[in-house]
Order: sequence, then structure tokens, then C-alpha cells
Amino acid sequence: MGPTPYNSSNSSSSACSSSTKPPPPQPPDQMDHLLAGAGYKVRSNDLTQVAERLEHLETVMVKSSPVDISDIGNDAVYYNPTDLASWVDSLLTELNPNGSGSGSGSGSGFVSGSGPAYVSDPVMNDMNNVYGEFGQQVVTPIEEDVSIRLVHVLMTCAEAVQRGDLSLAGLLIDDLQGLLGRVNSGCGIGKVGSFFVDALSRRVVNSPQNGVVQVDLSAYENEILYHHYYEACPYLKFAHFTANQAILEAFDGQDCVHVIDFNLMQGLQWPALIQALALRPGGPPLLRLTGIGPPSLDGRDSLREIGLKLAELARSVNVRFAFRGVAATRLDDVKPWMLQVSPKEAVAVNSIMQLHKLLGPGGPRGPPVDLVLDWIRDLNPRILMVVEQESNHNQPEFLDRFTESLYYYSTMFDSLDACTAQPEKTLAELYIQREICNVVCCEGSARVERHEPLVRWRERLTGAGFAPLHLGSNAFKQARMLLTLFSAEGYSVEENEGCLTLGWHSRPLIAASAWQAIPKPSVVTTGR
Amino acid sequence: MAGSNEINVNEAKKVVPLHTWILISNFKLAYNMLRRPDGTFNRELAEFLDRKVVANTVPVDGVYSFDVIIDRATGLLNRIYRCALPETEPGHHPAAGILDLENPLSMTEIVPVVIFFHGGSFTHSSANSAIYDTFCRRLTGLIKGVVVSVNYRRSPEHRYPCAYEDGWETLQWVHSRPWLLSGKDPKVHVYLAGDSSGGNIAHHVAFRAAEAGVEVLGNMLLHPLFGGEERTESETKLDGKYFVRVQDRDWYWRAFLPEGEDRDHPACNIFGPRGVDLKGVKFPKSLVVVAGFDLVQDWQLKYVEGLENAGQEVKLLFLKKATIGFYFLPNNEHFYTLMDEIKSFVSS
Repeated sequence: MGPTPYNSSNSSSSACSSSTKPPPPQPPDQMDHLLAGAGYKVRSNDLTQVAERLEHLETVMVKSSPVDISDIGNDAVYYNPTDLASWVDSLLTELNPNGSGSGSGSGSGFVSGSGPAYVSDPVMNDMNNVYGEFGQQVVTPIEEDVSIRLVHVLMTCAEAVQRGDLSLAGLLIDDLQGLLGRVNSGCGIGKVGSFFVDALSRRVVNSPQNGVVQVDLSAYENEILYHHYYEACPYLKFAHFTANQAILEAFDGQDCVHVIDFNLMQGLQWPALIQALALRPGGPPLLRLTGIGPPSLDGRDSLREIGLKLAELARSVNVRFAFRGVAATRLDDVKPWMLQVSPKEAVAVNSIMQLHKLLGPGGPRGPPVDLVLDWIRDLNPRILMVVEQESNHNQPEFLDRFTESLYYYSTMFDSLDACTAQPEKTLAELYIQREICNVVCCEGSARVERHEPLVRWRERLTGAGFAPLHLGSNAFKQARMLLTLFSAEGYSVEENEGCLTLGWHSRPLIAASAWQAIPKPSVVTTGR
Repeated sequence: MAGSNEINVNEAKKVVPLHTWILISNFKLAYNMLRRPDGTFNRELAEFLDRKVVANTVPVDGVYSFDVIIDRATGLLNRIYRCALPETEPGHHPAAGILDLENPLSMTEIVPVVIFFHGGSFTHSSANSAIYDTFCRRLTGLIKGVVVSVNYRRSPEHRYPCAYEDGWETLQWVHSRPWLLSGKDPKVHVYLAGDSSGGNIAHHVAFRAAEAGVEVLGNMLLHPLFGGEERTESETKLDGKYFVRVQDRDWYWRAFLPEGEDRDHPACNIFGPRGVDLKGVKFPKSLVVVAGFDLVQDWQLKYVEGLENAGQEVKLLFLKKATIGFYFLPNNEHFYTLMDEIKSFVSS
């Protein structure tokens, strides 16, 4: 069973005929706030219906054997447990495939204290905002005096930078260098702190207005860092793995498929997909891969080289394969006609940590991200896979960005501590350092690491005409299995309303989500 | 059989509000799928289903939280909840929450620190489960102090005594944090609390603390999980009637206790044939909350009696018409009664 299309409001609210005592009238989309505090989204108007379905589920369970019940736990695939109504229905379907009966009919009998009928203490009752704002947190406490002082001065320095008081900032940086000398810079806040001090000092010395603070690496150097980051920690592997799962399912039953990779790099994601397609029951489809990447300035055509390697692999497993490289410095330089999408093929667009780069200042035609999402939608992809850093490094105020990235990257560095392989670890740290530098030092169009959290991407993608494709319990289980291959305990996969996140302990660090384009009303379907 | 279960469903419905019925029933039915007859547990599906929330250093309703790893070897993580300080600095920024780790909670007032062990029959839930995060936030705001929610290791992967070890380690850690000190002494004013299995853990950690001379000012046990080989009247009478079946309780004990052990093991049956004598032990005062529709109540009442017989200070709060989990949602009088009791318990 593939990722299911978003089942928005239709399933439960229309069949509400059997409830006897309707709750007070609510706006149709009003979510119940009591259950929201428990992590569930249920429309207030659907509560009685959900209760009835639960009762029905119980009677069905009572009639099933414990073995049957635990079997459906083992074998079936589930999606988005936050949507309680659909979760209950999916259980009913698993246990009772023939009966599609509605609730047992008796909506009465509930104690009438179902709303906040008691004297309310605003603190107790209004938990609406608990998850409203995204904030940062730390995993290891900063308790040693020097470390505390380091954070204190870092913040003060960042504040000075925000105010434009560069001379004070400069003095504080001297302070910071001194502190770094005393703190244990091999780990924890000492390690990540040194990267932030470095970034701040670059910013102070070369203010963003004056020019480039971050030297571009050659594509080759970039690839080296990327590769070691890939090896040292599971974030990219998780991204690739999860994306491939979802793409594979989206391509089910399709004979001609076309994957558009927004950042080919060394094509590390694709051998696994090629092999999975080769093993597909019924045989592999014709696979086209279009890889987007920066133009090579050193004479090599690296896109083509990667394409050739992948073609060779595909040939060795009997998958008909065609590759095309599209060189572009920026994603918004890509024009859809360059991708040569054919109406007959099923398209998957794969964006691993790329969309945030489009959140910078827009040109005359509007924000780059909107333009790109628009042409993606025009391609009518069966799946748009989006993996992004789970943090808000795109806030308007410099200090907020600084603070949030300090904690985000501390956590990421913490997780890297578990890796001991060299030079993987050091080069991975350098890879991350470049991200930090971009977030802290750069502004305007030079600042490309404009990470935004899942909750914002959901809004943006929904607004741009995409519907969620939920990643299910099978993807979740497999991601967890992938992580056990790493000796480091501490990585955790979590399910978040149909999306999956990978994090370090209790802090998600990257989020993977899948989307499907809602066809534009004005498009005349031409047999796609 | 089907007939008697229909009656059960209707009875539970009569005593709890709609939201509570939905919430607890959902857990009950989902958990049925996770417990395998062979004693193993479907941990993958359990983690997939558990609704979790991230810690948040931005105060919400005056409370903020952050996570701390206190033992890398076991991965023991605690979630700390604190009340936000009034914003006195003009340039107040979110990092202030972390900077507060420099200073004691107060030099003059006593600020209670409650170490909380979440429930889940030793098997389910985590410190970052939404239901427990919400509960701990409420608790923090109520006591105007600090709550430390322990993400202890769970069974069946980690049986007895892992959870107790994690609790003990947390207690020692809490006592040694300069930023949890308060009062004129100053010292860390620690209470232990927990619901269901968390209550059981709180008892055992308190006992260990008493033996080691580590101070715990009080225990708050919300329908703590105790048991024994004997079948008590409440277990028989209430079996299957209010969300819980005896056979499920048995499964969780089998998953938690060392293999081959029975429910008279001292972890489970505190004042039973293998129980430890608490007479003369400097055990903290206890608040034991018993729900009148909880089938475990006879064991909880035996526990209260056992404490009394051992000369220990204990207050019983018997909520006749409450079911398990009444404290998850603020939609019933038992919830507010409980909150009042907790508040006075930590301020007396």
C-alpha cells in the first residue's frame, strides 16, 4: 500500500447522522483543544462520531483473538496517528474488512462534562498555544562556569552585531577567543562555540555589506565535504532512504518513470533506487534521471560522469536507464523545458536540503521559491519529496537566527561526537561549519542556508497547491532499522503528522515529507 | 462474553467525560495491538503511534522546557520544566532560559523540585509524550517550581531494576545541581511523583534514598502500580469494566519483573510475603491517590495500610468516581481536587 493521499475532511464529518446530542455549534474546522494537548487532531464536531467508532472498534476487537490483534500490529501499514478519526477507521478496516458499519448507534450515555464545564483556570484550560511557537532547546546542559560565560558572551556579541555596534562586537570577540582557550574545545559547546566565534568574527571584520565573507569552494571540494558528512552521520542516508521508499511506492505500476534530482552531487541516492526498481515484482520500468547541479568550472563534466556511472550500474541490473544533466548555479535558473518531461511518464521531484535556498530575496517576478514550486506543480509530479533541516534559521532578526542555530548545531555536533572515524568526522564538521558560517555571516542573496521548520514548509507547500502524501509505519520501521546499523545510540526517528523526522535524542534535526501536486483547475488534462 | 463486554463499554462511558473516554479508549485499543501474546512488545509501532512533543525554551503559558542527557551510557534523558522569570531585562532573549542555569532558583524562597516518573505500565510512553509533557507543564505552573521528568528505560527491553536505577541516578543528579537550590539553607527541595508505574518507581527510589540518607521531602503517587499473586476483590469486580483488564496488568508485570518471577516479587508487592519492613526507615511523607474505578485499588490501599503500619506518614486521597487517567484532561472535578492536594502537599 503506497502513501495515501491526504484524506482531508471528508471521511468522518459527513456521516454524522447517528449522534443524538450534538455538541454546541463550532466552526466546521475547529480542532478540539483538549485532545490537541494530547497530540491528536480531532474536529470538535467529530468527537461523538469518533467515540462511536472507538466503541465499534472495541466490539470488533473483543471478537478477535489476541493473535489476530497483534498480527495487525505487525503487518498492517498505518499513517498519521495524529488524525485520530482516520486512525480508528484504519484499524477497523484491518480488523473488519467486510463490515464497513458505522458506529453502534448509541451516542448517548456520556457524562455531560464534555466541554470545559468546570470553573476554568486559564492556565489549565487554554493549552492551545503549547505548540504554537517553535523554540530551541539544548541537549547537554551548559553548567561549567567557562562554558556558561562563553554562551553569555556569544549572545552579547550577537546582540551587539544586531545593533550594529561592531566595535563592541570586536572587543567581545577577543573575550571569546580567550574563553575558547580555557574551555574544552574538543567537544560540546566548546567545539561548536569555536565555529560560531569564527563566524561572528568574520562578520564583524567583513560586514556583509562590504562583500563576500564566505569563500566559495570548488565543486570538487564541496563534494569531498559532502561525502564525508554523508559517511559520518546518518542524516543524508536517512533522507535518501526515506525519499527512495516514497518514490518507489509512488512509481508503483508505472512503466515510464522520471526522477528529477535537485542536487545530484555524487548521485549517492540513486544506486539503491535503481536496485530496488530492478527487483520490483513485474520488472523494472524505464528510468530517466535528470540531475541538476552547478556548472563545472574546472573542465570536468561531473554531472555527466555521475550519469555514466549510474548508467553502468543500471545496465548491470537490467534497468533501462537514461540520464540527463542540467547545469545551473541556482535552482531558480532552471527552466522546466530543460527537464524535458514527457506527458507519458510518472515524475518524481527529489529535493534534499535545496528548497530553503530559494527563500532569499526575490526578483521582479516574485520570491524564487514560489516560482519554482509553481513550475514543479506544472510538471504534475506523482511525488515531490522534500527533506529539510528542522529549525528556523530564517528569522528576520539576526539574534534569533544566531541563537536558534547555536542550539541546532550544538545538537548536531553532539550527535557527531558519536562518530570516531577519521577523516570523516573532521571533514563532516567542516561541512557543517560552512553552513553555520552562511547562516551567521551572510545576508541577502549570499545567505542561502535559510532553513525553516516542517510546520512552515507544510503551510508553504499546501498554499502552493500540494497535498501531503503520508509516510507510514513501514517507512518508520525501516528508518529505525537503518539507524541500528549505526553503533551510536541516540538517533531517533519520529512520526510527525505523516512526515518523518530524524533527530538526536529528543530533538528532531531533519524532516522528510512527501507531496503530491493538486492539478491546477485551468489545466486541460492531455492524458497525463 | 460479547454481552458482558457491551455492558463494560457503557459503564465506562457513564463515568467519564467524552474527551477522556476517547483518549483512554484510544490508548487501550492501540495498546491491545502492541502487547504480543508471546510476551514481546511491538516497540516500532508503539514509537510510531506515540505522540511526542519537542522541548521548548520559549515559555508557553509561563513554562518552558529543555532536555538534558544525564547519562550517555544508558541514554538517560530528563526533561526539565521551569517557570519563566519575569522579563526584567529590556534585551531579554530566549537564551535567558539557559543562562539561568548559573543561579539557584531562589536565595530566599523555597522552590519545590518534583522528579516525575511518567506512567505506562513500565512499557509505554516517554518523558516527551504529549500527554505527559502537557501534564508536567500544568504541574510546573501549579507548584511554581521545577519538574524533572525522567525518561527511564522501559520493559520488556529493560526489565527490573533499570527503571529504578534511572530514577536513583536522576535523584542524585538533581541533588547535585547548583541551579536547583533554593531557600536560605540552601538545598534542593526534592519531591518524587509518578502515575501508574511511575508511582511504583517513585516508591522504590524513595526507599533507596531513605537507606542512603538522601533527602526526599515527599512522595506523590497517582494510582501507583502495585500487585501480587493473590486476586483481590477489586481486580475481580472491576476486571474489564473501566478500561483495564487484569490480564493486561499480568502481561506488564511479566514484561517488567525478572524472568521466572511472580507478582509477589518485592518490586510489585511492596508489603507482601517478600516485602521489606519499612518500620523505622526515614521514608518521606506520601500522598497516595486512588481512583475508585481502578481495579488495582486494593493493592494501593494495602500499600497505604502498610505505610501506616510501619509508622510512616501517609495521606490517602480516594476519588470514588475516578477512573485511571483522570488527570490527563482538566475536564472533571477529580482533576482539580488532585491539583489542590498536590499544591498543598508541596507547600506544607
